[in-house]
Amino acid sequence: MIGPGIKRGTAELAVLSVLEDGPLHGYELARRIERQTKGALRFTLAALYPMLYRMEQRRWIRGSWETGSNGRRRRCYRLTAEGKKKLSPIRQEWAELFHALRQLGKVANA
Amino acid sequence: MRDWQELVRQRLDGLALDSTEREAVYDELAAHLEEAYENLLVEGLPEKEAVQRTLTQIADWHDLQRQIFLARRGGQPMQKRIQQLWIPGFLTLTLSMMFLIALQKHGFQPRIVFWSGPGTILFYVPWLMSLPLFGALGAYLSSRAGGARGTVLLASIFPVLALTAAFLLMFPIGLIIKRIIGRQVDFSMVATAILRDGIGWILVPGAALLVGGLLVNLLFSRRSSSQDTAIG
Repeated sequence: MIGPGIKRGTAELAVLSVLEDGPLHGYELARRIERQTKGALRFTLAALYPMLYRMEQRRWIRGSWETGSNGRRRRCYRLTAEGKKKLSPIRQEWAELFHALRQLGKVANA
Repeated sequence: MRDWQELVRQRLDGLALDSTEREAVYDELAAHLEEAYENLLVEGLPEKEAVQRTLTQIADWHDLQRQIFLARRGGQPMQKRIQQLWIPGFLTLTLSMMFLIALQKHGFQPRIVFWSGPGTILFYVPWLMSLPLFGALGAYLSSRAGGARGTVLLASIFPVLALTAAFLLMFPIGLIIKRIIGRQVDFSMVATAILRDGIGWILVPGAALLVGGLLVNLLFSRRSSSQDTAIG
């Protein structure tokens, strides 16, 4: 079973990675992550917004209200300089973790 | 056309943020739900099913409210603990004790229960009857500050936790003093006194306080579920 710490870590990495491509509002962000991970990562509203607000408090992302072409107001999130700085070490940590898990798999299959 | 804004406003009405911040959260969540619902309609789902599917995004509104509060406040763990436990707890303790003192000053006599052991158990019935209210107050304040279920219940029974701590300190200190002044200690009497005071000042008041705390919990969870039924 994947613990909450790992889940939160992957979720944050997913949000930062997707926002690296450009600003998005919450709903589109969740859809983009779901599409790009082929449904492996899905965010409900209840999981998404507390995390976005937490990341905003840490100043990794910044939200601002924007009016779309359909006239609807949406709060769009964009990556901050601090978030960009954070993304690289998080990616590195996860790469190391996956590498370690692959190594374990090889040992187990040997 | 569903009024998602009104729905979010109703279910997160206890969100303890300042009004501008709270309205922004309502707007944002309502926009998310509206978009999810409209996309489900576009995919061909009947309206009722689209509403139900949209609402599955939030299993527990009370928990969402708590999570949003904690995330937006972003306070230190100690600050959260103070707001969720210590302030509601001490307020419950202070008010309940002030009420007890007021009763004693106005000459209310305790109900005395005799038992087979030495001594008696005193029950201040009006005080005991007021405790569910004080317990509910502690639970409500803790809940408003984003306390988890366990913290909310701890805040509601805080007065008896304080009394337990006082008793745990009082008895060993009493024994030490008796030893120092050279008086014989009768351990069976000490055990009886602990049991007697434990029932009169901890167990029964604790149960009364807990009733109030549990009622507040029940009220919050019922309100969430009845609102779910209303929209479905």
